[in-house]
Amino acid sequence: MYPEDVRYTENHEWIGEEDGLYIVGISEYAQEQLGDVTYVELPEIGRHVRQKEPVAQVESVKAAEDIYAPVTGVIVEVNEALEGEPELINLDPYGKGWCFKMDDIDTAQYRRLMNREAYEKYLKSL
Amino acid sequence: MELKKTPLFECCEKSGGRFVDFHGWYLPVQFEGIIVEHLHVRSHAGIFDCSHMGEFLIHGRDKISYFSFLTCGDFMPLPVGKCRYTAILNKDGSVLDDCVGMKLDEETLFVVTNAGPLEEVSSLLCPSDVQAEDITQQIVKIDVQGPRSLDVLLQAGFDSQIAGLKYWTGGRFEWRGEKIIITRAGYTGELGYELYLPVSIGADIWVKLVSHAEVKPCGLGARDTLRTEMGYPLNGQDILPGTTPLMASMDRFIDWEHDFIGKDLLLQQKNRSDYRVLTGIKTHTRQAPRHNQKIVFQDSEVGEVTSGTYGPSVGVGVGLAMLDKKVAIPGTFLQIAGRPLQVEVCNVPIYQNGTTRKKVL
Repeated sequence: MYPEDVRYTENHEWIGEEDGLYIVGISEYAQEQLGDVTYVELPEIGRHVRQKEPVAQVESVKAAEDIYAPVTGVIVEVNEALEGEPELINLDPYGKGWCFKMDDIDTAQYRRLMNREAYEKYLKSL
Repeated sequence: MELKKTPLFECCEKSGGRFVDFHGWYLPVQFEGIIVEHLHVRSHAGIFDCSHMGEFLIHGRDKISYFSFLTCGDFMPLPVGKCRYTAILNKDGSVLDDCVGMKLDEETLFVVTNAGPLEEVSSLLCPSDVQAEDITQQIVKIDVQGPRSLDVLLQAGFDSQIAGLKYWTGGRFEWRGEKIIITRAGYTGELGYELYLPVSIGADIWVKLVSHAEVKPCGLGARDTLRTEMGYPLNGQDILPGTTPLMASMDRFIDWEHDFIGKDLLLQQKNRSDYRVLTGIKTHTRQAPRHNQKIVFQDSEVGEVTSGTYGPSVGVGVGLAMLDKKVAIPGTFLQIAGRPLQVEVCNVPIYQNGTTRKKVL
C-alpha cells in the first residue's frame, strides 16, 4: 500500500483497496503527531460501523486518540500484530502498521474522501 | 499572550526539540522521542532545560522562620547543605505550590518552585515579611539525570567535590570563576544533579553537556513518564487548588511540631480521614489510565485519574489517582469508568530499580 493509492479523512485515517477489501490505518502525519504508539485497541470483527463512528483507539505516551470509521461498512479483519508491536504504526503506517480491514463499504462515501493531493493541501491549512 | 522562552530556547531548538505550551512557556516536549529519551535517562544520562522553574533566596534566620510558617515543613532545624521537600500553603491549609528548599548557609535559604503558580508564589514571598529575593530571571536550570550523570559532569569539568554529594544535598560551587549552585536531586528516580547557573554561562554548559557521547537532550514528555513511574506528583495536575498536603500523600513532609498556616484545619482533616488521597495506580497491559478519567468501585465513583501514561521502564500503564481513602489500598482493583480497563492500586515508586540513592563514592 502506498500513500498515493489511498484516500484520506480529515481525522487523518487512510483507507485503500486491496484484494476486494478496504484497509484502514492512520496517516504519517497522525503517527508523527502522536509520537511513540504504546497501545492499540482494535474493533470487534463483524461489527457494522457507520462513517465517523469511533471504532478503535490508539494510545501514545502523550495521548489516547480515537480512530473513526472512514466510511460505513463492516469490520472484517484486524491487525493482531499491533497487540504485541504497536510501534508498527510509527514505523510503517501505510504497511505493517495498518489497523483493520472493512468490507461492504459505502463506495460513494469512499470516492468523496480526499486523495493525496487534497490531503496534503488540507495538512498545509492546519 | 505570547509564550515565554527560556535562555536555552535556541540551544533546545538546535538540539531538535519539538515545542509546546507549558504554563505559558514555550518548552520542548521531546527531541528524539519520548520513549528513547526516557530509557536513556534510566540507562545513561539525559539533560532537561528546567529554566521555567522559580528560584528564590531568603536571607536571615527570622525570614527563614517566617517562610517556615507558610510551609508544612520546618526549615529552622534543617542542616546547611541538606534539601527539604515541602509545600507552600494557603490559609486553608491547601497547597499553593510544592517546592524544595536548601540552606546555602545558616543565614540563606534557597527555594525552588514550579512554573505554574510562580506569580502567586512570588507575590506571596517577596513583598511580605519573608522578603524573599526572586532570582528566577537570573538563573538557568539544567537537570542532569541518569546513572551516568556524575561521570558526565566530572568529564565536562565540573568540580570533583560534587562526587561527595549525597542524595538530597547540595551547595555552592564554581564553574570557571562563576558562582553556581548544584544539588543532587531530580524528578526522574535516577542518580542526578540539578545545576543552577547564571544566564551568561547556561548555553555554553548546555552545549558542552549535550555534546557528551552518553547524553541525550530530553523534553517534558520523558520528564513526565519518568516522574509518573516514580509516583512524583506534578503541581497543577495531581495537586490542584484545594488539595492539602494530606491529600497529596505528603504526610511525611509535614512537621507537626512547628507552627504553620492552616495547621488547625489540617489537623481536623487528619482526624476525619474522609478525604481523598493521591495514590499510585497501574494496569496489567500496555493500556494506560488517562488524566481526568473517573474511577469506579462496585458501581460507585471513588476517584479520578490525575496522571496516566504508558510506563516505558515497567511495560504497563502507570499513573496517579485521587482516591477515596477506603479504596486507596495497594492490591485493590478498580475500574476506569466507561472503558474496558482495570487499574490496580499500588505503592510508589512503581518503578523500583532507580539509581537515585546510589552510593557514588
